Amino acid sequence: MALELLRDTAIPKTAAVYPLQWRSRVYAIAGLALLLGVVVVVTLAIGSTHIPLATLGNILLAKLPFTGVESTWASSMETIIFDIRLPRLLLAGLVGASLAVAGATYQGLFRNPLADPYLIGVAQGAALGAVTGFLLPVSWQAASIPLLAFAGALLAVAVVYSIARVGKTLPMTTLILAGVALGAFLAAITSYLMIASGDKLHGIISWLLGTFSLTSWWQVTMVIPYISLGIVVIWLHARPLNVMQLDEEQAQQLGINVERVKLILLGAATLITAAAVCFCGIIGFVGIIIPHAVRLIWGPDHRFLLPLSTLAGASFLILADTVARTMLAPTEIPVGVITAFLGAPFFLYLLRQKKRAIF
Amino acid sequence: MNQYSRNCLLVLLSVALLLCLSCASPPPAGNVVDDLDRTINIDEIPQRIISLAPSNTEILFALGLGDRVVGVTEYCNFPEAAIAKPKVGGFSTVDIEKVVSLEPDLVLATQIHSKTAIPALEKLGITVLALAPGSLDEVINDISLVGKITGQDKQASQLVNSLRTRIEAIASRTQNLAPGQRPRVLYLTWHDPLITAGTETLVDDIINKAGGQNIAYDISGHKAIALEAIIHRDPQVIIASIGMGTGEDLPWQYVKNEPRLKNTEALLNDRVYKIDGDLAHRAGPRIVDALEQMAQFIHPELFEEIN
Repeated sequence: MALELLRDTAIPKTAAVYPLQWRSRVYAIAGLALLLGVVVVVTLAIGSTHIPLATLGNILLAKLPFTGVESTWASSMETIIFDIRLPRLLLAGLVGASLAVAGATYQGLFRNPLADPYLIGVAQGAALGAVTGFLLPVSWQAASIPLLAFAGALLAVAVVYSIARVGKTLPMTTLILAGVALGAFLAAITSYLMIASGDKLHGIISWLLGTFSLTSWWQVTMVIPYISLGIVVIWLHARPLNVMQLDEEQAQQLGINVERVKLILLGAATLITAAAVCFCGIIGFVGIIIPHAVRLIWGPDHRFLLPLSTLAGASFLILADTVARTMLAPTEIPVGVITAFLGAPFFLYLLRQKKRAIF
Repeated sequence: MNQYSRNCLLVLLSVALLLCLSCASPPPAGNVVDDLDRTINIDEIPQRIISLAPSNTEILFALGLGDRVVGVTEYCNFPEAAIAKPKVGGFSTVDIEKVVSLEPDLVLATQIHSKTAIPALEKLGITVLALAPGSLDEVINDISLVGKITGQDKQASQLVNSLRTRIEAIASRTQNLAPGQRPRVLYLTWHDPLITAGTETLVDDIINKAGGQNIAYDISGHKAIALEAIIHRDPQVIIASIGMGTGEDLPWQYVKNEPRLKNTEALLNDRVYKIDGDLAHRAGPRIVDALEQMAQFIHPELFEEIN
């Protein structure tokens, strides 16, 4: 009898419930993927130019072979849909996905709910690189700004890493402190350059607030390799990330090569964040709020948290960008303003609904 | 002559002399109202004037006041003589100490300084006049105002008359154009982000007087415009401003090279023009040069003979 009692109490409730929870989370992934598809199609139709859904449907169908749809619309509409809105949506989705996943990764690595993708100097490094690009002789500017932003972001993190590293280990608190310190230093240099920039200030400020306004296909094709590589690497490390929520020593004893995992995850998260910000600027809020919102609804298991954050981040940023380009049409607001506006109240709402521990 | 007649003659001569002397310099302007609705009392003709904007500098020099200008901004590059004057700061960054050390009788500011330099200078007892014209007529009024308060009424009215004649020469030929005869015009101040001049700007006034219609009719001020809005509104003429900072002609190059614009009427008919930003954005006498240039761009068939 004692054995039965033991068995009843020893087997945790979740073991019996777990298959159900697993299934609901898989459905959630499918659901969010579907939502993302719907969001993409719907926001293709929305913009400062009114394009009726029926026309949109015909335009899309006409692109497929063998549908034989006659073209009854102005060619400018095709340009708007395929050369302006579609690359813009895709880039917004990619950036949203990478920022959300990077945020979830940093929160998991540092075991700190306030971590965001810009914690260890990525944003400040990218900003400094971009501002330097703005101040270069003009003929070099078009391609140099994203390149310098990317290089700046990676360099900043490399410096922070080399400061914080102790032998073969990487103490996380030292990493944060070094990141904050270097970030402040880089931000000071950036501020000075901004003041010295005179009338380039408007362009710089727009970049810093985050904007997708002149997105074209080549930017999308440039970021896809880095972002997809980084996201896949992170997804594959979901289990080790789960285990690392315990103390590092315990995780090591449970068989995780903690230092290697830290390095790989930091590298991947930094890579995707750098790729995300180098074309569109520093878009805040996505990396910290989306993982928290997903955790509140579906729990902290990284095997689901990471894919769900990816999908939720993509949809969120696509929607935010749509608001940014239609709210005051035909003028545009930087999307970073909208993410802050949308994100904070939504998160407060979630907090009140769930009323349980965030982390 | 007897003593009585001599005294009368002396009195008459003195009165005549006094009258002549007072005719030589006009009286100070007294109370004037500037463009920010501030009332300023000018109790003597200003002899030392500082300008806080390139447009104000150009107005001062055009009225023949170059000798009285004792301070300008770093961006004041016209006329040549202005470049040699002492500098008191950039556009919105004014070195108050420098201004005070130059002991001005009058400072000409703009609306940018309304919350910063103007209150600071007023507290130090310096007379500040703010000019913020939003249309060609207001620029002309401002020129008259500056002429009045600096005692240069004659020069001001000459300049104003010549400017009005030039404006009338253009407006008279365009004011009766039907909407269908007014080309759709896009004015591009900068390309990244795409910034245009909407309503309530000098450029918008110029476009209308030059016989065009601004496609940014529902944006007010200088703001960003969406690329898809430009494509949808299909401008027939695109005018890009160049020479902004060290931007050279980047906006113009962007318009020529952006593949998504190549099907707009302006690109198909090769009606993409450039204009010096110093002419089109400065609220000074050269704004009429910008009007003449843009009139030629928009209606080459009406304005061929303007140089």
